[in-house]
Amino acid sequence: MNPSDSDASSFRSPSTDRRGEQDLDDLLVHVARGDEVAFEAVYDRLAGPVYGVIRRVLRDPAQSEEVAQEVLLEVWRTATRFDPAMGGAATWVMTIAHRRAIDRVRATTAAAEREHKTADLTRPHDEVAEAVEASLDRERVRRCLDGLTEVQRESITLAYYSGYSYRQVAELLTVTLAAVKTRIRDGLIRMRDCLGVG
Amino acid sequence: MRLLRQDLHALAGVYALDVLEPGAECDRFSHHLDRCQSCASEVRGFREVATALAFAAAAEPPPGLRQQVMAAVARTRQLPPEVRTHARPRRSRPRELWVPWLAGVVATAAVVISVIFGLAHAHTQAELNRVRAQNQEIAGVLTAPDARLLASRTTAGGAAVVVLAPSRRQLVVTTAGLPALPAGQVYQLWLIGPVKIVSAGLLPAAEAGRTSPVLASGIVAGDKLGLTVEPAPGTAQPTTTPILALALPV
Repeated sequence: MNPSDSDASSFRSPSTDRRGEQDLDDLLVHVARGDEVAFEAVYDRLAGPVYGVIRRVLRDPAQSEEVAQEVLLEVWRTATRFDPAMGGAATWVMTIAHRRAIDRVRATTAAAEREHKTADLTRPHDEVAEAVEASLDRERVRRCLDGLTEVQRESITLAYYSGYSYRQVAELLTVTLAAVKTRIRDGLIRMRDCLGVG
Repeated sequence: MRLLRQDLHALAGVYALDVLEPGAECDRFSHHLDRCQSCASEVRGFREVATALAFAAAAEPPPGLRQQVMAAVARTRQLPPEVRTHARPRRSRPRELWVPWLAGVVATAAVVISVIFGLAHAHTQAELNRVRAQNQEIAGVLTAPDARLLASRTTAGGAAVVVLAPSRRQLVVTTAGLPALPAGQVYQLWLIGPVKIVSAGLLPAAEAGRTSPVLASGIVAGDKLGLTVEPAPGTAQPTTTPILALALPV
């Protein structure tokens, strides 16, 4: 453990203040002990972002609902394994949600490719504009995204919201793999500093 | 070599965004994460950025979702907790290696007997699950291909026997013949590192002079296993001179 670990657990998720995030960690501790009421509170706090990010990646509402249900159930089932030392509860849950969405994309793409033998990479239209509405949280994320270079912003939003692998992102942006890796990493460093997390 | 390492570092971003496809490259990076503190903290920071991106995409969930989830929760059993005796993060799940390992049979036999003892004394299902989960972890340490046996007397009398599995950064410790403590005092284990000291849990009460195995995880290079006498229910940092300080070669 290094000194920055304590910062990780005091992560301020965009829609909660510091105290809210700590409450969320506490709630998960209760969930781990089988407390369904605590789980309902976790649901109320996180179902929106969970469903939202899955929906952004998958687009199909029915599939998104299905995956969101799987994710939330997984949170219930594995709350006993949540380790605050590894980051806050919101980050833990969102990591599960995003991964499950990506897994679904990969499974679906593999199935489609078996049928069509072609990988059709279509660039999603302005994802950020679509995501960003009048909310303050979104404003903050948007402001930080605006602080990136265009190639950084494009690489990060494509990578995170499209469900493409970074090889596919490189293909789509017609740059080398090394360039994509570097852009994403540099962009994330700027975002991290701008959001004041990590 | 230097180039290779820099190459690996550059993967922190794509790894944190889950866009590194499963495969050799991903495996290599997650392996690297186990030993690269700065990469691990970078990945943690990036995941928080990703969380902000997820929150920025928040949408009203379908109205039926809550009820479906709560109904599923009501009929779904939770995983038993992983038994760890102190809070250092473990980066990757340890692989279970069920390779019979014959060295250190004596200690192993002692440990296994104590474990079985624990099983026989588990009264509730939860307790049984807990003991089973812990047994599995302990078995993983005992059967690790690089497991090694360490033993040392304590300055207060009695001895500690340790099976150390450097590959898992875990150890299992049992003791025999430690002096009985007055009420209100406990034996506490520590991982004493060059930078910090972390509690590795309390020794359970001795049965016939022996204590059942305690598992400690997250050992880092330079750690020593320490044992002190502390006021119950244990302390955050040691308050007395260790009666044992055993170097842990990892």
